[in-house]
Amino acid sequence: MEKGLKLTDILVTIIIALIFGVIYKLWGPLYGVVATLGIHLEQLIYGMWFIAAVVAYLIIRKPGVALLAEVAAAQGEFIFGGEWGVATLIFGIGQGLAAELIFAAFRYKRYDMLVASLAGVAAAFASIGIDFYYGYIGDLALWNLLILFGTRIAGAILISGIFAHLLVQALEKTGVTNLVRPATKEDYQALG
Amino acid sequence: MAMDFSYKETWLHKINPSLKLLIMVFLFIHLLMIHNTNILINYMVGMLVLYLFFTGHPWKRLLVISIPFLLIFLTSSTSMIFFGKGEITWAKWGLVHITEESFFRGLHLGFRGISFAILGIVFALTTRPVYLFYSLMQQFKLKPKYAYSFMAAIRLIPLMIEEMQTLHYALQVRGVQGERGIKEFYKKIKAYSIPLLSQSIRRAYRIAVAMEAKRFTNHGNRTYFYRLSFSKFDVIFLCYLLVIIPLSYVTATHFPYFSITDVRFGS
Repeated sequence: MEKGLKLTDILVTIIIALIFGVIYKLWGPLYGVVATLGIHLEQLIYGMWFIAAVVAYLIIRKPGVALLAEVAAAQGEFIFGGEWGVATLIFGIGQGLAAELIFAAFRYKRYDMLVASLAGVAAAFASIGIDFYYGYIGDLALWNLLILFGTRIAGAILISGIFAHLLVQALEKTGVTNLVRPATKEDYQALG
Repeated sequence: MAMDFSYKETWLHKINPSLKLLIMVFLFIHLLMIHNTNILINYMVGMLVLYLFFTGHPWKRLLVISIPFLLIFLTSSTSMIFFGKGEITWAKWGLVHITEESFFRGLHLGFRGISFAILGIVFALTTRPVYLFYSLMQQFKLKPKYAYSFMAAIRLIPLMIEEMQTLHYALQVRGVQGERGIKEFYKKIKAYSIPLLSQSIRRAYRIAVAMEAKRFTNHGNRTYFYRLSFSKFDVIFLCYLLVIIPLSYVTATHFPYFSITDVRFGS
């Protein structure tokens, strides 16, 4: 057995990530149009940028997948010419690491909506952390900053927690997830 | 839809892709440490020169690509201008409170956003993904299983887009009509994403099995179809930056556009 992820895991992760990479790229202009209002309504849809990590992890259920997916999606957005350029990569690494940490904290044993939402929230916190340097958000008026926090976290739960989980649940019905998941205890018992 | 994406190859294309990426990351970190708008503007102009004259793409394409830049400027700056902290009030309507400090901080964020956008676009326009991943394998010792997976996955994107088009027609022919409302929107997303994702995963799985059988995972003594190394163009690029960056500092001190030299609050 080879250590770490197999090529199959990696390729499947990356293709999922790149699909979201394309969505990330298209999400940019949408975000831009909403954002010009200045009151952080756009933060509600910010959560879409955390979804690759969660969906890939929920599908493949292996360590390292969340980080790889988020970085790959960011890389995808970057090489397709995303508006934020290199910033995307840095945010991707931060968000991927944060989501990965949550999954690791549950020892990669839980795949429910709560864990997905927590991972989304962690990714939101990572992005907020980077934004302190990138967007000087510490210099916003306090009420405005709090709205930014609240809406970004709410968006993360809605999109990369609840929606991601529903998406993977629907995907499970197609049977495709059985291809890529590691064998579970029940599988071995069924052989028994 | 046939898309013509031809371009002339310039010296920017010939820079080692890994090095280019590394430099981009360093520039990103460096840009975050610039709090003086005067420096930032000069810096941005320096990068703009690369975009306008050295990417080798036709003018029309460059113009179309640059449309989102304006949007980036607005999205990065507006909330800071309207709601940022500051003491010298310029205007106040209800919650909106524009101060001198917040205005310049917003402006700074806008220019910063554009600088990143330019750097990113220059990279995207002058780097072939295949070369990037070959170079990452050779110069940065990225494991081949990651690099080849990436390259294979990029190849699958056009297939996927074609599939999406087919799906769209299939839904249309069956008279599936979208209605308004959140629930309908969710249904629509599902109708597209589930078949797309499941097909892509199946395809990726089949390709991965084939790639494993062909030993794409091998590292160590492997040969590469493309050999990438360093050249004089890397030196030219470094020299360009080593001239432009100090120059933007010097001109900012001697010929400033604004009197504010640090946009952070309380500095």
